[in-house]
Amino acid sequence: MTTETVSSNPTPAEARRGLGRVTLEVRQRMPAWKHGLILALSLSCGLAIGVAVLWASGVAPKGIYEEFVLYTFFNAKGLANVLVECTPLILVGLSAAMAFRVQFWNIGLEGQLILGGMGAAFFALNDIGPPETRLALMLIGGLAGGALWTVIPLLLKLKLNVNEIISTLLLNYVAFQLLQDRLYGAWQDPDRFPHSPQLESVERLPRIGFGDVDSGIWVALAAGIVVWWLIQRARIGLFMTFVGSNARMSKAIGLPVTAVVAGSVLLSGALSGLAGFVVVAGQEYRLTTTFSGGYLFSGIVIAFLARNNPLAAVVVAFLLGGLYVGGQSIQIFYNLPAGVIDLLQAIIVMSVTASELFVRYRIIWRRA
Amino acid sequence: MAVSRLVLGGLLSAALSVSAVGAANAETFKVEGEMKPAFIYFNVKNDGGWVQALDEARVKVEENLGIEIPFTEKVEEVATQIRPAVERYIDRGYNVILGSAFGYSDTFKELAEKHPDVLFLNPAGITNGPNLMSYYGRTYESQYLCGMVAGAMSKTGKLGFVAANPLPLVTWTVNAYALGAQRMNPDATVNVVFTGAWYDPVKEREAALALIEQGVDVIGIHVDTPAVPVVAQEKGVMATGHHRDMTEFAPDSTMCSSVWVWDKFLTPALKAASTDGLEMQPYGAFLSIKNGGTDIALSDAVPADVKEKVMAARQEIIDGKHVFEGPVAGQDGSEKVAAGAHPDDGQMWGMDYLVKGVVGSLN
Repeated sequence: MTTETVSSNPTPAEARRGLGRVTLEVRQRMPAWKHGLILALSLSCGLAIGVAVLWASGVAPKGIYEEFVLYTFFNAKGLANVLVECTPLILVGLSAAMAFRVQFWNIGLEGQLILGGMGAAFFALNDIGPPETRLALMLIGGLAGGALWTVIPLLLKLKLNVNEIISTLLLNYVAFQLLQDRLYGAWQDPDRFPHSPQLESVERLPRIGFGDVDSGIWVALAAGIVVWWLIQRARIGLFMTFVGSNARMSKAIGLPVTAVVAGSVLLSGALSGLAGFVVVAGQEYRLTTTFSGGYLFSGIVIAFLARNNPLAAVVVAFLLGGLYVGGQSIQIFYNLPAGVIDLLQAIIVMSVTASELFVRYRIIWRRA
Repeated sequence: MAVSRLVLGGLLSAALSVSAVGAANAETFKVEGEMKPAFIYFNVKNDGGWVQALDEARVKVEENLGIEIPFTEKVEEVATQIRPAVERYIDRGYNVILGSAFGYSDTFKELAEKHPDVLFLNPAGITNGPNLMSYYGRTYESQYLCGMVAGAMSKTGKLGFVAANPLPLVTWTVNAYALGAQRMNPDATVNVVFTGAWYDPVKEREAALALIEQGVDVIGIHVDTPAVPVVAQEKGVMATGHHRDMTEFAPDSTMCSSVWVWDKFLTPALKAASTDGLEMQPYGAFLSIKNGGTDIALSDAVPADVKEKVMAARQEIIDGKHVFEGPVAGQDGSEKVAAGAHPDDGQMWGMDYLVKGVVGSLN
């Protein structure tokens, strides 16, 4: 088997001390079980550091277990809170994964989410269509709003090769200004505060009868299945893998590269837009200036931890929802600063990032 | 983004829900059993402004009442974050939930209906009920006093004001600032700049620099960061603060600040809730200097004679004088408040004009 040596030569000092030498070899391939094992180990390592940090802040392991496991996942109220929390997280995670798979770094999830919420609100506030189809129209409005917000960066990228990280990021601010313009203007509630009027009951996603969980969770899970099918089963998924690995080669062998990228990115925007729809119609029941908060970072973290795999994204979103809910609970009962929870999340993300080294390289240690 | 919370209201009462609620009886709410309050902050507790002022009040209330009041930070203004935080507290026996944001209004309303035995108090909120009360301060009173200081200290007679969004509760601070300044210097003008955001130190900085370039030598604020007093200090001009005493950030430039004194409201309110019952108000509590929402903090740089005049005006306000007592003229000279009259609370919450001497536009 051929391997490529990346770094080797030990310093003479090391050799003399008899420590041997460490060689990194690029792996050609890695069996799935091994990949999984490395991920699991790195995740455990991150969790262990997280537990240590919490312990050092005065939360004993028993308390950590109770708040994060018992009261979060094995308690009806806690589980319901996690499901509510993870509904939009699933969608932004899928959205990020969809774009990242074709190497389009969509940092505009939040702007697309805002436009999705606005698209949904447009149908609701203008009472378009009969009441029975209102929610369906709002859903379409969400999809369309989100997709629309990727068109400009997409065109800029495809036609002028403008860096999409910059263009999508900046459009988040434009989206927020647009939202403010509506909420201080045409869509302002008659109470003259900067939010829209409340949605009517036909415009709200019904609760499913478990805590405060709304039917947005079905929308999110359905989106997960659709994206899974597209990526793992449909031909476009195979194309996406090709284009993501090597766009020039894909072009050379005749794949419709532009169409694949455009389709993936538009779908990515649509999924973030859908997240805006479920937040507005499922929980907030109106547009506010704060409904989009925090989903950009969460979406990227989910896609990253899930390695852009749609089913994994659903699972990671669920766990991240648990981290948020449990983290809030830890904060409440141990009076920890909010920063500790951000720190936990960062430790876990960094542990998984670090595991990349072991996935990409074989580490060989030879005695001198 | 923390954009909206300071927007307040409960009381927009008259203006908006004209007929909805008739003369509601003064109902009281009494907490059963041992009182256990908890605070929910929409941001970190040391944000330098709004939340920090609430947290400082929390500590004082703890001392005054001899109880412990836990808090949770960064519970953002979305139902999915507010609901679990509040319910965790309630599940473990907490019976007074203290909010911190306009964006909590809807969810607090929902939770208050679901938990009728728990008291909810929310500053800058706009919802009320039998066990839910929003509260806010009459910032036009404290900003009027700051305007007096600014008018007295300014050499050019040209003042500036950096404001967030053109909402009535911001508009009235700009107007009151101008009226206060004109009391000390009838020719004083106030150039106002709206940044369009509550928290945007970069824009606030730019606005302050632009104002200074136009010859302004004292700048007032109604935004969330100390950026403007800091720029004023760098450029050797004066400033007045909002939320908290800004001498902490800009000791040389800050002449005075409009500050929150929530403990003066919360201490008696919580005490009442645990004893005879807290009198609930259908439109919320709209607190004046007299009953402890807002006040002025003067710096040592203000000369004694100015201090004296300002404190005398403060006493007049406590004794019942309305800052917008007519005659008040609009920007174009038209009469906005007739001589001897003053706007009622509903009109205050609907304030959609700038007064004479203010340079700028609400649009």
